[in-house]
Amino acid sequence: MGTEIIIPAIDPMPLPAPFWLFKVLLVLTFILHIVVMNFMFGGGLIAVWTRFFGQKNDKDQRLFKDIVPKIPSLLAATVTLGIAPLLFVQVLYGQFLYTSSIIMAWPWFLVLVLLVLAYYGFYIVSFNKDKKSRSIGWLMLISVFFIFLVGFFYSNNFTLMNTPSSWAAKYFHDPSGWNLNLSETTLIPRFLHFLVASIAIGSFLLIIIGLFRWKREQDYARFLIVRGGKWFMYATMVQFLVGIWFLISLPRELMLQFMGGNMLGTVSLLISILGGLASIFVMSNGIRNEDPRKPAIWAMGITGIVVVFMAIMRDILRTAYLSPYFKSSDLVVKTQLDVLILFLVLFVIGIAVWVLMIKKYFFTPSARAAD
Amino acid sequence: MNYPVWDVAFGAGLLIAIVAITHVFVSHFAIGGGLFLVLTEKKAYREDDASLLDWLKRHTKFFVLVTVVFGAISGVGIWFTIGLIHPSGTSALIHAYVWGWAIEWIFFFLEITAALLYLYGWNKLDRKTHLWLGWIYFIAAYLSMVVINGILAFMLTPGKWLETQNFWQGFFNPTYFPSLLLRTTFAFALAGVYALITGTLQKDLELKGKIVKWSVKWIIPAFIIIPIFAWWYIGNIPDVVWESARGKMPTATQYANSILIFSALTFLFSLLTLIKPKKVPFALSVLIFLLAFGTMGSFEFIREAIRKPYIIYDYMYANSIYKDQFPGDGGMSIQNIQQKGLLPVAKWAESKEITSENQMAAGMEIFRIQCQSCHTIDGYRGIRKVLVEKKWSQTAISRRISSLENMFNAVMPPFAGTDEERETLAAYLTTLAPVAPEDVEVTDIDISGEVVFEANCADCHEYAASDTMFVSMGKYDFSEVSYLITRLDSLSEEMPPFEGSDAEREALARWIPVQFK
Repeated sequence: MGTEIIIPAIDPMPLPAPFWLFKVLLVLTFILHIVVMNFMFGGGLIAVWTRFFGQKNDKDQRLFKDIVPKIPSLLAATVTLGIAPLLFVQVLYGQFLYTSSIIMAWPWFLVLVLLVLAYYGFYIVSFNKDKKSRSIGWLMLISVFFIFLVGFFYSNNFTLMNTPSSWAAKYFHDPSGWNLNLSETTLIPRFLHFLVASIAIGSFLLIIIGLFRWKREQDYARFLIVRGGKWFMYATMVQFLVGIWFLISLPRELMLQFMGGNMLGTVSLLISILGGLASIFVMSNGIRNEDPRKPAIWAMGITGIVVVFMAIMRDILRTAYLSPYFKSSDLVVKTQLDVLILFLVLFVIGIAVWVLMIKKYFFTPSARAAD
Repeated sequence: MNYPVWDVAFGAGLLIAIVAITHVFVSHFAIGGGLFLVLTEKKAYREDDASLLDWLKRHTKFFVLVTVVFGAISGVGIWFTIGLIHPSGTSALIHAYVWGWAIEWIFFFLEITAALLYLYGWNKLDRKTHLWLGWIYFIAAYLSMVVINGILAFMLTPGKWLETQNFWQGFFNPTYFPSLLLRTTFAFALAGVYALITGTLQKDLELKGKIVKWSVKWIIPAFIIIPIFAWWYIGNIPDVVWESARGKMPTATQYANSILIFSALTFLFSLLTLIKPKKVPFALSVLIFLLAFGTMGSFEFIREAIRKPYIIYDYMYANSIYKDQFPGDGGMSIQNIQQKGLLPVAKWAESKEITSENQMAAGMEIFRIQCQSCHTIDGYRGIRKVLVEKKWSQTAISRRISSLENMFNAVMPPFAGTDEERETLAAYLTTLAPVAPEDVEVTDIDISGEVVFEANCADCHEYAASDTMFVSMGKYDFSEVSYLITRLDSLSEEMPPFEGSDAEREALARWIPVQFK
């Protein structure tokens, strides 16, 4: 026992919209989630690093002070934007995700506890007026570490979900949910791939703050953009090594998907490599300029495109992993057209209201002083 | 069945209860509290009360820290937790209502954004824009409940959905509107309950008195209206289901009683604060908070309890087995499992057949697969303490397993499995507690009437003075009791016919009159 492959039956209820629509929504909302998560986690990591290893000058101190108040809202956005892809992945791949979650139930449940603790930690740091106290740095470090663990548990679950052949042995060995997926060879490179990407994209938080500050205090703004740019370049360079490690750790037939086996996968990998190189090049030249704003924006734009292709590759990889056990043609589709239209209409209205809120908040001249 | 069962030693049901009840107590505050913030802000402007406004700013911070952090994460937490404990039920709710969840997500996103901007906007925005954000917050938060309420109510009263599987018929089900209004009213009450917490901490006594009076205005009317909506809600639950909370199911009845006590006390103590609003101690506000928590918790417990044995009423049992057979059910219907056996049908059974060597392991596995979504051995709804108390023999346990569905207003699903599997489960359960020595040998000649009573009657009756049905048997002799047992189903609609052998009937008939001597 424990060597067989058990795949739960597909839910008998039909899919309430075509497969492709859920797929598009899944990948799209995942991109939004991952970018904001990178800002939150990567930004937090850079803040902690600066706190402990930065110079004792004013700018480094300010950098910490400027980043930490943004983290709680970014965490709120990460969680909120994470709900949608988690919903769509359950619709399409529930039989895989529920099973892997149950096998590692306690770590998966702990995600919630860690999130609440990290969240309150971030808020305490953010509301603390005197950010110089020693305990604030440690609290920030612990909170970021909790997020690190959350990410690690996510990597465990989403690799376990893809490998049903390892389920039975793990579950029957310990049905009480104290499992992880540590025996999976792709786990560490995959997790590092996400971690390093968080630092690279988290650096954009510094750059964006710098861009907004440019008119008011150019010197400090330039410092932020240059510092962000350096974090970005070094992280992306490391990413090339980690990415190669991740790629060669994949089972051979899956790795070959990105080397001619799958056209979209191969093109995506090529674009990502070229995009990564181009963004490093643009950034490294840009931060030497007196005004590094334009090149920094370019580098961020190129990286944005790379993220989209990375998300597509992630999906191709999952499809390849699950291909022996899952065919989208097995799903019965019965579109709930009226509710779907209602969703789309409300989605558009929701975006409009959201944009209006942001606009009114950030771009209405402050009247409180005169109030 | 279809999924592995997460073995939570202290009780999977308890884990869900903890996450769910703490969440609803915060999420309802998140809704009512939204309107409270806006109306209190307007009141402060109208009365030009700077100190009230100052308190409200601090209260907003408290509100955001409670709702946006704990409320949001615990909400996702319920989803995580039910996915781990009731994966098939969760999958069904996701498939039937994915667009409902997606719509709810839009409102949730607006709600969270508006809450944060409202908090940070206190010192940045003009009054009009700030209030506008407050309104957006409240409307978005309320609409998210409008959506979730449909799916929650659906689980208890799916109505016509069972025949049509139509989204709207399931969504606007029989308890939709009463449930929505009940929750709305409670949400407003909670706005006052939470405001008392921060309000009674104020040192300025004028301000404190004002906040207390204003907060209680949110609690008192709500608690006057709640019984009306509750009555409407109950009226839309099928009578047979509601009877569980009217004495037929001990736990549900207990929750129904506790909701009356908790809500009455919340109401009374809230009234009490009006005697000397300026002098209300913080401890009293905490007491009201806990009583309101008891009220909300009892309501959620009743809803969960009377829905038993189902997770989705008349569709799927709490242990993920479908009530009826239908194409695509993966063989997970009760009929199919009773015919083919639980172990061969369940995907995550390690023992596929029962042998003399693996009997205990198979019994334990049957317990895990079939019983553990609600029960444990030693934890929540633990089975060992029942067995220790009752000292049933294997035969008695086996009998009870075969008539689970008759227990306490049909609170349990029928046993799903073959006779052999039932015996295996009974054999396993026998090892958990000592068996009464006189019950070990049960033969046709020497059957214990008590054992027969325990196996056939004790689900609903007790041989005690409190059981009027049993006491009424005192006036009959052996032959009359024996005759009555043959026609139990004609005594009342709810009595099932006696299923034991003639010898067992006679043993029971001999035993009952003896109890009155």
